[in-house]
Amino acid sequence: MQQNQVLQFVKTNATLIALVVLTAALALADPTFHTARNLSNVARQVTIVGIIGVGMTMVILIAGIDLSVGSVVGVAAVVVTLLMQIGMAAWIAVPVTLVVVGGLIGLWNGFWIARYRIPPFIITLGMLTIARGVALTLSGGSSVPVADPSFANLGSAYIPPVPTLVILGIAAMLYVTRLVRSLSASRKSGSRADVDKLVAGVIIAAAGFALAVYVFGGGDGLPVPVAIFVVIAGAAIFVLGHTRFGRRLYALGGNEEAARLSGINILQTKMIVYVIVSLLAALSGILLASRLNGASPNLGTMFELDAIAAVVIGGTSLAGGSGTIGGTIIGALIIGVLNNGMSLLGVSSFYQLIIKGLIISLAVWFDVLQKKKWAG
Amino acid sequence: MSEVVLRMEHIVKEFPGVRALDNVNFEARSGELLALMGENGAGKSTLMKVLGGVWPYPSYQGDIFIKGEEKRFYSPRDAEQSGVAIIFQELNLIPELSVAENIFLDRQPTNRFGAIDWHQLNSDTRALLDELGIRDVKPGDQVRSLTVGKRQMVEIAKALSKRARILVLDEPTSALTDKEVADLFRIVRKLKQDGVCMCYISHKMEEIKQIADRVVVLRDGQTIGDVTPIADITLDQIIARMVGRDIKDMFPRRERRRGEKILEVRNLEVDHPDLPGEKSVKKASFSAYRGEILGISGLMGSGRTTLVSAIFGAYPAATHGDVLIEGKAADIHSPADAINHGIALLTDDRKALGLFLDQPISFNTTIASLQTISAPLTGVIDASWERVLAEKQVAQLGIKAPGIDTIVGTLSGGNQQKVILGRWLNAGPKIFILDEPTRGIDIGAKVEIYKLLDRLAAEGVAVIIISSELPEVLGMSDRILVMSEGAIVCEFTRENATKEAIMEFATGARRPAE
Repeated sequence: MQQNQVLQFVKTNATLIALVVLTAALALADPTFHTARNLSNVARQVTIVGIIGVGMTMVILIAGIDLSVGSVVGVAAVVVTLLMQIGMAAWIAVPVTLVVVGGLIGLWNGFWIARYRIPPFIITLGMLTIARGVALTLSGGSSVPVADPSFANLGSAYIPPVPTLVILGIAAMLYVTRLVRSLSASRKSGSRADVDKLVAGVIIAAAGFALAVYVFGGGDGLPVPVAIFVVIAGAAIFVLGHTRFGRRLYALGGNEEAARLSGINILQTKMIVYVIVSLLAALSGILLASRLNGASPNLGTMFELDAIAAVVIGGTSLAGGSGTIGGTIIGALIIGVLNNGMSLLGVSSFYQLIIKGLIISLAVWFDVLQKKKWAG
Repeated sequence: MSEVVLRMEHIVKEFPGVRALDNVNFEARSGELLALMGENGAGKSTLMKVLGGVWPYPSYQGDIFIKGEEKRFYSPRDAEQSGVAIIFQELNLIPELSVAENIFLDRQPTNRFGAIDWHQLNSDTRALLDELGIRDVKPGDQVRSLTVGKRQMVEIAKALSKRARILVLDEPTSALTDKEVADLFRIVRKLKQDGVCMCYISHKMEEIKQIADRVVVLRDGQTIGDVTPIADITLDQIIARMVGRDIKDMFPRRERRRGEKILEVRNLEVDHPDLPGEKSVKKASFSAYRGEILGISGLMGSGRTTLVSAIFGAYPAATHGDVLIEGKAADIHSPADAINHGIALLTDDRKALGLFLDQPISFNTTIASLQTISAPLTGVIDASWERVLAEKQVAQLGIKAPGIDTIVGTLSGGNQQKVILGRWLNAGPKIFILDEPTRGIDIGAKVEIYKLLDRLAAEGVAVIIISSELPEVLGMSDRILVMSEGAIVCEFTRENATKEAIMEFATGARRPAE
């Protein structure tokens, strides 16, 4: 019985355990890995894939896919920098780019997929090429420099340590009140809360807070992109878990016909999801252009693969209907930590590719194993 | 008298929770057409799947003898080698390939380089088709371009090319035009002369009288009576064998009072999904009243499911005609519209069309009431309200599960069905349509569902039940509509309905007076 529970815990939290083991191993292997500066760097690198991964999770949740996100990153970066070149202020150029690039591409993808049932793989593969072509055409094939200096704040600025600590403190307080409330609610309804699960959750949260304080509470503070990512991920977790829209996604991915016959507007829901993922990809492109202080038309190439990898490693089923944002964040962290660690250790980038590919395959195999429970 | 080529003895086949075949015995002779008759779910198709090796030995019990020799089929290929071929309702041809390639699939004649000898292939096919008198199909025709009737003939040719001596035809005429049926029967008669033994599954009485030599009836997985020459039995006697059960007092019945008319359907038609110009529902008109249970009877494929799905807005583009709710024309273009008009539809296939198997009971019971449990503007779900709704259904339907967080995929069939019932009860329908509400669930759960429907009717809901089980329709309904070939052919009141009369209209043995 006891052994069974441990096994169950390992099974349901396999990716998290993998992340912890990986981090611990790297910390032992390389003394620079666990410095606050390096970890802050990892966090910043993870945000780009992480933000796209949030959208990709929703797409894969409805049994879709979006291969065009990497190209959308490129177009958004080029468009936002070009808009500033023609004299638009950064604070106008950013929302205009989001709406024009993210919104329009998302509507285009979503329209064909939802209205005419064209396989998402094909229509977004087409957009992958189209959007890259647009980025190259608009930029004339060369990099576009940033004209408005205030634009750099978005990608490179920090929230200083003191406000960061205040924010973390407030977040911790919110977490504790929620915990207390859900505990008393489950006591009232008489259903015994799963103690093991609860304890595990508290330990994970406490470790997360401690790590955040260590990494962002000193030095330069919290990088703005990381803060944006945290807000987006938090909002997405809430939407998926606690809103009508979230329910619709799980229903749609789990059984599309049943969802339709339960009164869910399939067309509208799919359109919204594809718009969200494009908006998030465009945002990533803007953040990247800001940090690099310029946009290359080739920016974001292959990002779709990292985003999909993060989602899949995080346990979201490619068949749709099950998965979480939390899982995707862990997946993105695994990829980020792996990239960073292997570079620190001087592993050749050729080997890095091989190892990354093997890990993705392993994750999918694990997903298939899990699915077998009542499928056969 | 011709030789007995097929004998099946004491065949028993069990599925989890159901005994589909329960000691079946019959024999068939060379050169005869033996009709296998029975209601939906009587076990005909299962029996033929045992014969064809689809359910391999030893997944069943009993013995199969071909020409007196005991056989055990471990795969369809084994059965084929013993001369048994089955032509299923869903044909097994590859639409992209030609007629010749399909017939000789994986057995194509080759030249000395190992490549396919196309000339030989086509001339072999031509010879085969000529022998069957099939003139209007060419070996090079792509199967995709053929009508269903011609495809069926290609299947038969394919079976004969493998020297099949026992041919099973599973409802071969269900999708054929009258002319195609005539062509098929011409081939069937020729095969009889050639000494081929045919087992023929059909619901159509007319056909049976025309071409069958003998008939055997299956009911509840058992053979009823002996194999009987068609000349020695009347249609009435066949129907009596098919429906024989007595209605036990499984069906609760309170005093029901018919309220005002709530649903009126006028001249509803639904386009056939595959055949342009054809209709799968033809000019259907009927009404439903508050406080009444309306039964819809008919064979599978008679258009019952299509009719109610169309009312529910499942095929907005293919549906024509008017639906009036409480006297006002209702514009229903999607299931969401139908739900907003107070209609609920419990579908006949709970796994494919109903359940979210990976999700918990709470999710499944509230998915059609998301508007109720969430804030109107932000869409934020009130978790405690959701809990209340889910727990209410678990309690009132007696769903056996550890709690509302239990994943639905782990529940039994009866409990899964109750979960979907709970979903629609939470939506609070005024008109509740149930398509085969008790299919594949045990008797205890059935009775509980009957009680629930009776109570809903007493509370003033208009309940519409579709069922293939005649006792269920007769036991529950105040009025019964019978459908056949896409049309509503008859309406009975509870008092004047009999199993036999319903069956006669459902099978087309009797037609409505024009």
